[in-house]
Amino acid sequence: MGNRPLKFRILELFLDEKEHWNYEIVSKIMEEYGMKGDYHRDSINFDIIELASGGMLKDVEQKVDEEGIYKKGFLLHKYVITDFGKVRGSDACLRYV
Amino acid sequence: MDLKALKKQESKRKISKGYMWALFCAVFWGIWYLPGTVVWVLNPFDEMYGVIAETNGDAVSLVVTAVLITAFNALTVMLALMVWNGVLQKFGELGRTLKEFNPCSKWFFLASIFGGPVAILGSFMAMGFIGGAFAAVAALLYPVIGSVLAYYWYGEKITKRAAIGIVVIILGGITIFGGGLITELGAGEVPWIGYLGGLMAAAGWGIEGAIAGKGLDIAEPDVGLTLRFVGENIIWWILIVPILAIVGFPMYSFAIQAFEPLTLLVLIFAGITFGFCYVCWYKSFPLIGVGRGQGIGNLYGLCAIIFIFLFFGDVPQWTILLGGALCVAGSFIMFTEEAGELETLRGE
Repeated sequence: MGNRPLKFRILELFLDEKEHWNYEIVSKIMEEYGMKGDYHRDSINFDIIELASGGMLKDVEQKVDEEGIYKKGFLLHKYVITDFGKVRGSDACLRYV
Repeated sequence: MDLKALKKQESKRKISKGYMWALFCAVFWGIWYLPGTVVWVLNPFDEMYGVIAETNGDAVSLVVTAVLITAFNALTVMLALMVWNGVLQKFGELGRTLKEFNPCSKWFFLASIFGGPVAILGSFMAMGFIGGAFAAVAALLYPVIGSVLAYYWYGEKITKRAAIGIVVIILGGITIFGGGLITELGAGEVPWIGYLGGLMAAAGWGIEGAIAGKGLDIAEPDVGLTLRFVGENIIWWILIVPILAIVGFPMYSFAIQAFEPLTLLVLIFAGITFGFCYVCWYKSFPLIGVGRGQGIGNLYGLCAIIFIFLFFGDVPQWTILLGGALCVAGSFIMFTEEAGELETLRGE
């Protein structure tokens, strides 16, 4: 069960400096924090959007969700952490994985 | 639909959502000046003002009464936000964020110092001494401080267009502010402590916005702003109110008297409108940035004037109307910004 604030954990998952799709992160967070349902799914995705518009994550690739892995007909986003994100992450005492 | 069109649509949706939150903030914030003005003529605050004024003079009495009103305002806002977090099922996140005091909660507590004892107290002082419309428009200058701090502190971009919009809004604020001041100078009596309150509101909220932006980027806004009000309650009820009581002001005897139906109703109304204005304010920042969120939120000045006119029948001066029009114009200059410029808000 996750015990850190959601955005901290999301940043932590990105600290491996690899690119991750939003649906991968969302499902991992939901599993870790024992969350279920569309409401929490959208809420976590909104956290990722906020981190991206705050300049901590960078949107590097998009594709249309044709099979409905996440939300059919909507965009899927692939993000990578930015230098600013790493700085904020280390401010938040996140460890590098 | 192809990828490019979907991308454009999504970015547009995000930006319009951000502006929508900011606009809701303006409406709630504007309404807040109704209970904020009314509460001054209700007991126990009316009586408290009279009692303290007899022994300590008008100015001290005004500030001390404003402290108690602001403390109750903070309390009802916190209660409204607790309900809000319950509805959003965010109590778990609230606890998790509170535990991380060092990296992020400290920013909210710092924000609450500038928001509460500086900005909100200043607003109540301006409402009590000059009036709701003045209190509302005096604070219109806060985006100058907010945007400049956000720019220098964490490099938030301010596009040319956004800067022009902010300048026009500020010109509007100055017109409204100056109009009242000139009339009062003509009448020979200027309620300076009210104007001081107005300045406190502008400076406090500008600094709060910039500080909160720093904590907000790693916390959830609903949770973050609840913590900000928990902080403010600690400052009022654990620090300032007891200190004033020890110094000899009858804080507690009047605080207990606030628990009567009409006063409570007005205080709860203030808590709900102010609480949700903050929810909307904080939600707009990550989507459109602190400067723009504050700029659009500035329409509250106009909303407040309209609501005060509708409910109290106070007809505004022409300077207030002109200034209000400038505020609307400035906000729309920002509103029509090209979506592309907003894709990333910060420099890399």
